[in-house]
Amino acid sequence: MKVPGLGVVSRMPGLSAVPLVVRTVTAPAVETVTSYAVVARGLLDQLLDQLIADVVGRVDVDQIVGEVDFDQVLDKLDMTQIVLTRVDLEAVVDKVLTGMDEESLSALLEKVDVNSIARRLDIDAILDQMDLTDVVLKRVDLVKVVDTVLAQLDMIALANEIIDGVDLPEIIRDSTGSMASETVKGVRMQGIGADQAVDRAIDRLLLRRTRAPGSAGS
Amino acid sequence: MDDEAAADATHAKISPIPREARPYQGQRAGLVTRVIAAVLDSLVIGAVLLGGYLGLVGLIFLFNPRSFQFPDLGVVFSLAAAFVVAVVYLTVFWTLSGRTYGQHVMGLRVLGIGGRRLRITGAFLRAMFVVVVPVGIVWIPLSRNNKSLQDLVLGTRVVYDWEPRLAPAGAMEAVAGADEVS
Repeated sequence: MKVPGLGVVSRMPGLSAVPLVVRTVTAPAVETVTSYAVVARGLLDQLLDQLIADVVGRVDVDQIVGEVDFDQVLDKLDMTQIVLTRVDLEAVVDKVLTGMDEESLSALLEKVDVNSIARRLDIDAILDQMDLTDVVLKRVDLVKVVDTVLAQLDMIALANEIIDGVDLPEIIRDSTGSMASETVKGVRMQGIGADQAVDRAIDRLLLRRTRAPGSAGS
Repeated sequence: MDDEAAADATHAKISPIPREARPYQGQRAGLVTRVIAAVLDSLVIGAVLLGGYLGLVGLIFLFNPRSFQFPDLGVVFSLAAAFVVAVVYLTVFWTLSGRTYGQHVMGLRVLGIGGRRLRITGAFLRAMFVVVVPVGIVWIPLSRNNKSLQDLVLGTRVVYDWEPRLAPAGAMEAVAGADEVS
């Protein structure tokens, strides 16, 4: 046991035996006081436990929780940051996706406006990146396509259109036509012209309404 | 049946007729072309008569060369011969091809009622009428539909038709229908 001031006294000449004396005298009292303190401490502990139990028993925690303004509490918290830092989002999403059945997935997809998403896509850009010619050559059965197209075409009508377009009869006439056929054509056209001229003249003479050109006899 | 009709329609699309003449096809021919055709036919008939006469002369010469003389057949016989040749000529050609040589040159065709080729009776009647009253052709310019007297009476018509063959009756009927409307 340490007594204040004994160190200083023991270093003074002639007083070196004082600490020993003091210790010997005070030892019984110190021991008694120490044991009282230990007991008092134990009693205090018991008293505190009892007190806390009594307080807890008397307080209505539910009522207190009910009176708490959680909105205010939540406003003070940065929930987003908390979720981002403390939640393993990948694990959560994985769990959600694996737990989803086909039905709920299709229900979810129904809510998604795919058309709106598609509208946002730059199709031209995607197509520019693709070698469509190569894709068609590799993946399309061209023979089948051509066969289908040809089956739907009226080849005879097409041929006739082409023949009419290039005026094949005229080419044949030109290449094989004799002087006589050319003359006959000229005489016939002249005849038609003369017919119309006569018609017009007679119409004028008879004060009739002139027939529309090219409508002789119609 | 439908296929045949389609084939016919397809065939009709390719026309050997020059472009400039196509709009006139099926329209009733006027006075000038028909007069020229008639003149050409007259020449043909004259040539046939002349050929017949020369043949007759040749026969006479063969049988009696010594006292050979050009026979005088008389006006009546000549006219009768010309009448018969003309009627036969016109009847045969109108029945077979719908046009005489003169009409072939001028690109004309004679059509009966409904745009069909004349039957032998119709062709014969028209031939008789044309030969007896050739002046009936003068009615063409006076008629609004370019009808000669014969056409008016017999219901026939003469149209521009440069096609080598007579088109299907349907095609010509369409033209006939248009004619009737106007």
